[in-house]
Amino acid sequence: MALNGDDEDYEWEPPTEAEMKVIQARRERQDKISRLMGDYLLKGYKMLGDCCDACGTILLQDRQQKNYCVSCQEMDSDIDKDNPALNAQAALSQVRERQLAAQTPEVNDGPSSSSSSSTQASGSVPQPRPEHCEGAAAGGRTPLPPPAVPPPSAPVPATPLPSARPPAPPQSSVFSPVLQDAEEAVLTKLRWATAQLQSSASLEASIQLCSLISSCANSLRSLKELSQ
Amino acid sequence: MPPSERLPLEQVLEIVSALEAVVLRSFGPEGGQVLFTRDTGQAMLSRSGTCILSALHLEHPLARVVVESVWKHSRGTGDGSKTFILLLASLLRGISKATSRGPSASHAYGFTEAAKAAAAPYFANKLLELVSSDLDDLIAVNVVPYGFCVSLEDFTTHSGRLLLASFFHTRVSHVHCSYLSELTCEMLNRWKYKSDLPYISFQFLSDNFPALHTPVSGFPVSSSRLIEGQVIHRDFATPCLPSKQQPVKVVVFTDYMQPILLSTGDVLKLGYGGGVTPESSIVHFSAWTERSLESVIAELQSLGVSLLLSAVKQSDAAVALATQAHMSLVECVSEEELSLFVQLSGVTPVSRGCTIQLEHVAALSFCRPILLGGHRYVQVAFCESPKSSKVNPCSLVICGPGEGQTDQYICAIRDAVCMLMTTWEPKHTSETTASRGTLQSDKGTASLDMTPTFQSTANKPYGLKKCVFEPGCVIPAGGTFEFLLSRALPNPSSDTNGLPSVSQLLANALLSVPRQIYSHSPKLFLQAQTRIMSLVQNPSNPFSLGLKESTPGPMVDLGLESVTCKYQLILAVVQCATSVLRVDTVLHTRTALHTQSKKHTIFSRASTEDEAED
Repeated sequence: MALNGDDEDYEWEPPTEAEMKVIQARRERQDKISRLMGDYLLKGYKMLGDCCDACGTILLQDRQQKNYCVSCQEMDSDIDKDNPALNAQAALSQVRERQLAAQTPEVNDGPSSSSSSSTQASGSVPQPRPEHCEGAAAGGRTPLPPPAVPPPSAPVPATPLPSARPPAPPQSSVFSPVLQDAEEAVLTKLRWATAQLQSSASLEASIQLCSLISSCANSLRSLKELSQ
Repeated sequence: MPPSERLPLEQVLEIVSALEAVVLRSFGPEGGQVLFTRDTGQAMLSRSGTCILSALHLEHPLARVVVESVWKHSRGTGDGSKTFILLLASLLRGISKATSRGPSASHAYGFTEAAKAAAAPYFANKLLELVSSDLDDLIAVNVVPYGFCVSLEDFTTHSGRLLLASFFHTRVSHVHCSYLSELTCEMLNRWKYKSDLPYISFQFLSDNFPALHTPVSGFPVSSSRLIEGQVIHRDFATPCLPSKQQPVKVVVFTDYMQPILLSTGDVLKLGYGGGVTPESSIVHFSAWTERSLESVIAELQSLGVSLLLSAVKQSDAAVALATQAHMSLVECVSEEELSLFVQLSGVTPVSRGCTIQLEHVAALSFCRPILLGGHRYVQVAFCESPKSSKVNPCSLVICGPGEGQTDQYICAIRDAVCMLMTTWEPKHTSETTASRGTLQSDKGTASLDMTPTFQSTANKPYGLKKCVFEPGCVIPAGGTFEFLLSRALPNPSSDTNGLPSVSQLLANALLSVPRQIYSHSPKLFLQAQTRIMSLVQNPSNPFSLGLKESTPGPMVDLGLESVTCKYQLILAVVQCATSVLRVDTVLHTRTALHTQSKKHTIFSRASTEDEAED
């Protein structure tokens, strides 16, 4: 049998960790599909000799002669989770990537080191991370004063995100008012996030709020270090 | 041009994994039962892999090929259908992993597409070579020393019960295990041929099992019992019962006593050849037939016959005359029961046109009706004769709360007998077709001392099959066999072409079985593995794995299993994997008969047989 040569063996490297994760995820997905298929077979579904056009899984047919594909209709698709149009997380990741790409030149061209550090310090606070972007998006429509009404926590697409960018921190050379303002903003945000967390019913939103709180705490710590 | 498709390994794996998911929850002593119901309300309860898989609706031809392999294996050995699927799935997974190393299989590792497609059958062929040539030696050297051989005397005392109990543990609920194994042991004991091989009696039981058991629904399992003699599953056709005086004389008829006059489509020509005379008419002919019947009955009366067994439904006149003559008649006895009766009693059945002589008359010690469940049957017991003195015939009555459960117990007992037959199969090798001995009972000298002359009948499904282990070789259950064999398989350090060796593939696949047995507690798996490995490395006490353990552990209670069955299972799995992986293409064809369903045909490159699925 013609296996292509031994010299190409030396090019093979063991899969990296990311690749291993992909393999593992794929295997788990396959296992889940098999389990679901087994359950359906025991329920009386018929295993057909055809495959699904979209994903290639074996088709099942129920008593009413309706064809059923286990992976398309029951499982989250392997690739849909990367499609921004269908998934809020994917959309937010995409925005974050764009923001990071846009900000890196901005930070590099930033002002002097002192204000740049303050910019960075305070800039690190209002930069919305995608994970808690929803909360920030919801809560950050108005600038510094906290929103009167707790905004809905439903995931929103990318449109409110530009408005979620809080106002750029004042580029004054006065140190302490800036820090104070920044601290106040962070505390406000912290308070708001805590209130939201107490009333939150969704797992995703709670996770995002918790990360917002932790980043606010980090920012406060760095602000305190600066002020000392 | 009908569409065709390549059959990728992933699809094969998907099918087998789905089948594995179906049987997985019933696997092992802790497994559960599957309840199937039909729209008619009929229920089937089962833990047997074959029953479960055969009940599924599978239209995919490959799935049907796999299920058929399972069925064939189960028919041959009686055990291991779920283990079959488990091993097959792990093996295919291993092969799939080996052929697609790297995250994106297309460019990694230098495999071209064609080479990748050929890799799977290559592995399968190498695996088949390995198991055909080396497996039995490996098992004989590395596994068998840790088990022991159960002799026939031991069988009914302890080891046989344990073997049966561990078998029943995987088939029926644990509550009824011990009772059923006791019952089966007792039955086997009664059917033992004292001077012959146990294999003969097991085979006799297995062949005649349909005639030797009676299912009765509506009673608890503990009402199951053994009945002396044979139960004929028909009631008396005549109102009078045989006299109580011994011995009861019986004649077996395979044909009609009264010559049959006219059936549909017959043309009767009267007076043919002698010229048509005014006296030749239908009346004369029917009078003649009545006279011949009367003479038959008179002959039977003179011989003192009081019981008639008939394979067909006799005419009303015959029934009436028999009643008048105080003879009992049982009609429409099934062929299996009649042949068993003939074997056990030593009588020659009366066929058409022969006169009744002494050789056609047999003596029974009694014959009486018996009420089992809602039916009345006929129970006959055989006289003690020098020929039949070795055997104490008995029939099994199996009770269950419902029909589904009763069927489950019957299947379990039948498969247990088949498993015992496989375990005690004598050591010999066979060439192409199988070599299971058959009991040929001659018509004239039907005797019970069947000599072990092995005539080759095509009884086995596979080609090359060797019985290479001592009869009665067993090993403690619970994964011992798999641990020992996976350790014994060669593990070459340098892989050829960087591919994993096939023995490694087999070893990994084998370990999936104990992993699944202990799936509810992974700690036990590691404990069992450590225990066996330490015993292997410390060969001072090779039998300490067995029942003579002083320190009880989780392994001792797991019972025994047969080495031959396991060996044949591995052979069967590898053969199935090879046949499945050799399939290149599935062609969809449409036939005029089945307008709604497509007819699938499988063509494989190497084999010459075409399997046409309907």
